[in-house]
Amino acid sequence: MRETDATGTIAEVSLKNLVQRDDRSHPTPATREVVFDVDKLGVSYDGSIALSGVSLEIYRNYVTAFIGPSGCGKSTFIRCFNHLNDLIPGARINGKILYHEQDLYGPDVDPVEVRKRIGMVFQKPNPFPKSIYDNVAFGPRVLGMTDDLDGRVERALKQAALWDEVGHRLKKSALSLSGGQQQRLCIARCLAVEPEVILMDEPASALDPIATTRIEDLMHELKRDYTIVVVTHNMQQAARVADMTAFFSIERGEEGERSGILVEYDLTEKIFTQPSDERTEDYVTGRFG
Amino acid sequence: MRVTLQEELDTLQSTLLEEGELVLRALRGAMEALEQRDPELADEVIAFDDEVDRQYIGIEEGIASLLARQAPAAGDLRLVLAMLHNNLHLERMADYCVTIAKLTKLVYGITPDQKLIVAFQEMGARDEEMIRAALDSFANRDVAAAESLVELDELVDRGNRRVMGHVLALGSNPALREWGLRMIVVSRCLERIGDHAVDIGEQTAYLVTGEFREFTDASHPERVDT
Repeated sequence: MRETDATGTIAEVSLKNLVQRDDRSHPTPATREVVFDVDKLGVSYDGSIALSGVSLEIYRNYVTAFIGPSGCGKSTFIRCFNHLNDLIPGARINGKILYHEQDLYGPDVDPVEVRKRIGMVFQKPNPFPKSIYDNVAFGPRVLGMTDDLDGRVERALKQAALWDEVGHRLKKSALSLSGGQQQRLCIARCLAVEPEVILMDEPASALDPIATTRIEDLMHELKRDYTIVVVTHNMQQAARVADMTAFFSIERGEEGERSGILVEYDLTEKIFTQPSDERTEDYVTGRFG
Repeated sequence: MRVTLQEELDTLQSTLLEEGELVLRALRGAMEALEQRDPELADEVIAFDDEVDRQYIGIEEGIASLLARQAPAAGDLRLVLAMLHNNLHLERMADYCVTIAKLTKLVYGITPDQKLIVAFQEMGARDEEMIRAALDSFANRDVAAAESLVELDELVDRGNRRVMGHVLALGSNPALREWGLRMIVVSRCLERIGDHAVDIGEQTAYLVTGEFREFTDASHPERVDT
């Protein structure tokens, strides 16, 4: 019937507009591109297994959150993406992480080059005891990216939403900044070397609610240009910022030994409204343990 | 365990089921007033709606407060959303009972057509059965019972169509015609109460499965999936 068809078309058009306005150019599950392809990854420290059998894909321009109870291996996992576990004696990694189809743990891989492409922000803001400018310029200087260093520092501080607050006092010590500003400075320091991926391990857990909101807003802005992976204890934070959420938990082996496993990985909306696994349901509803 | 959250969810659910009991009382009162042509009972039904409204507002506020403080997720979130809908469905049902009571007062003094009264008795009884089934299916998270509401609703719809036929057959007596027109509205109210019961059933299915679907689709009857 013609009339019905006409109405249907109008409804479809306005629905599309709504989706576009809300989502801008954000990739949909159909158009997303794989940045990391993790296959049966496991990590052990001196023979005791911290994490085992993790397989998942991390998508470009997405915020991906790792949630789970303490000891589930989520921090261990995120540290695998930029070779940070290499620095721990006794740490062993098995399985595979492909970064744009290249083996991240292949024999020719230079961890320093990896960390340039894949930056990291830690739980506690850790600025160097130097000026604001020198903090941001540190990475570019080390890596020889010194053309138009001033411009590079300014761009990084602007992207980290800190320029308006510190642009007039770049020579001041970074330690004079508030905790929230220091964390955004660390993000700017990470952005200054133009990485593709930003890893964040509990980036807001040491901050007050307002500073936390600023970091979350920033993540939302940054995902247009970067791929973000974040570990968080705060489930609501994952629900607010992440496109995809992975829930990790602890499994007990036959002899009572504990190791971290990936329980469920899906769109954040699915994880928080209709998780497939009962263990995820118990965790996100707060009935865990 | 989130003890406070669980307690609040339990309280909200039992308050909602109580609201359902109030609606059943309102329906019984409205039907009794209609059949007995009792304007005083009709007034009582109208006044009784304040009780339903109080319950409705209490649940509404409770849900807003819980959402703000507890940030429920997954099954808890679906329960809260289902209760938010069901609360409104129940309140609407009670409003239809008020409309029936008001119409009863308007036609007081006119001798009714007995066939119609019998048809209304049947529809009212079905509605009562449906409300009970809707509340039970919700309390028991019973999707099969929720889906069975569609068949009961078909009976109410059939009653509604029968009433139309009776009214059209009433002929040209002006007093009776006015009565008949008002009775069409009564019939419509009873039919809508059944629809709201089906809607509550749909919320039960959503709560259990996580996916919302209409049991029947009035705008696309060819797609009906029951």
